Amino acid sequence: MSNFKHHIEVHNLSTWFGKKAILKDISCYFEDNTVTAIMGPSGCGKSTLLRTLNRLNDLVPNFRREGEVVFRGENIYDMGYSVYDLRKHIGMVFQRPNPFPMSIRENITYGPKLHGVKDEDELEKIVETSLKKAALWDEVQDDLDKPAPNLSGGQQQRLCIARALSINPPVLLADEPVSALDPISAAKIEELIVELKKDYTIILVTHNVQQAFRVSDQAAFLYLGELVEFEKTKRIIEAPADERTEAFITGRIG
Amino acid sequence: MSSRVGALFVYFRTVTQSRRHFFDFLFKFLLAIVILIVISPFFLVLIQVASIGFQQVFGSGPGQGLEFFTTFPGVGLAGGVRNAFVGTVELVVLAGGVGIPLSVFGAVYITEYTQAGWTRAIVEFTSDVLAGIPSIVFGAFGFAFLVDFLHLGMGIIAGSLTLAFMMIPTVLRTTQEALRAVPMSLREASLALGATKWSTTWNVTLRAAFPGLITGVLLAIGRVMGETAPLIFTAGNNLSVPTSLTGSGSWVASMPYTIWAYISDPREYLQAKAHGTALALMIMVLTIDVVANLVSRKVTRRLV
Repeated sequence: MSNFKHHIEVHNLSTWFGKKAILKDISCYFEDNTVTAIMGPSGCGKSTLLRTLNRLNDLVPNFRREGEVVFRGENIYDMGYSVYDLRKHIGMVFQRPNPFPMSIRENITYGPKLHGVKDEDELEKIVETSLKKAALWDEVQDDLDKPAPNLSGGQQQRLCIARALSINPPVLLADEPVSALDPISAAKIEELIVELKKDYTIILVTHNVQQAFRVSDQAAFLYLGELVEFEKTKRIIEAPADERTEAFITGRIG
Repeated sequence: MSSRVGALFVYFRTVTQSRRHFFDFLFKFLLAIVILIVISPFFLVLIQVASIGFQQVFGSGPGQGLEFFTTFPGVGLAGGVRNAFVGTVELVVLAGGVGIPLSVFGAVYITEYTQAGWTRAIVEFTSDVLAGIPSIVFGAFGFAFLVDFLHLGMGIIAGSLTLAFMMIPTVLRTTQEALRAVPMSLREASLALGATKWSTTWNVTLRAAFPGLITGVLLAIGRVMGETAPLIFTAGNNLSVPTSLTGSGSWVASMPYTIWAYISDPREYLQAKAHGTALALMIMVLTIDVVANLVSRKVTRRLV
């Protein structure tokens, strides 16, 4: 079909919660090994767009959708498309750190075990590499069997990133991953995101323009469910084409 | 001493210096009396039961102390209530074995797999009503439905199933509350890793809900342990332990039933045994409550 490998494309996507239209006719694509920021004021549909990409919105009663989300050349909303396989390839990090009520080690091995990794040595290796990628290994390597909820907020969020990386998904979705954290932890995680784009395609939802500017390569600006602009981040921020984008960037709406 | 009297005098002058001060003091005083009345039944019951039963449970005469639990009823003073003790344990284990999985999985289905609506409302309404039904009605139902209609006959099966019916609404509702308290984001985190609904429910949601769940289960066990009325018509009685699952060999004694039977007997030594059994039952239920408390606190600290 297409010659893209892990490319996600969105074609004419519209969504509703009940009668309320959330996204209106959105088309965009996410390039490999880059960070794409989805920006916009609160309630503009950023998170909905993100959660439509791994079909997490399916859980919401009354959710309705038109249009396609194409992952590796297949529409993920097609009949018979396995949502479990999809989510194996698209990891997600949430707004608030949400470690499982288990030990640090179990948090990481949960995903691989689900997908059939049984070998103890291999699981051990996954724990180490995932935690190293998430820049948490040095802090927790001696406490792997301690309960994850005892970690600090920033550490928990990095654990959640490690957990998402444990099944090595080519695409990583991040829904305002630092908004609930203190500035120092936030900076660490931003650095981490830039580091990770070498190996992963990252889609980052943020309402923070500076953050988008610091970490993303291209950006989508959503306003009231419409995709207003979709361009290189630098271009959007330095020379917004639409006045709504400019208003958002300069802080007049938000 | 005199300084204390002095302090009391100062206090008395303070609270009587005006109407407002006095009424403030009066209500504080009345509320203190109310709380005394509220907690006194527990201690009165304990004193009443222990004053006669203590000798039975902790004494060293014939049929007392350890013998109270290890020997079957004998002639006169001899013998304990092993039949009742073992019977209650068997009944509760069987009732729990049937009732706990049914109510936990029922709660999982209702909370995790259905959306708010008619089905859920009906299940919640019926279990709330069921929880409020007097236990004698459960006994009568157990007799009419299990013993008579299903031809199970009196015995351990009918008795424990009736107790299971009684446990279901409580355990179902507490499990539901525990599941609801688990944040949605935990389920989402699991689903986003490609987990199926069932694996998410089993490995994450139920695990996070465990402290609340175990508390509900233990409290329900503690409650049915002391129920007499459901067993009167369904379990029969036995001077030994049940030897079969059907027929008269399956009749089973229980501690609450034994208390009721002994206490209404004119012989004084049997009344003493009733008090001993009551004390033992109270200790067992109290222990379960304390364990429920400890477990839920321990597990909560470990997990959250």
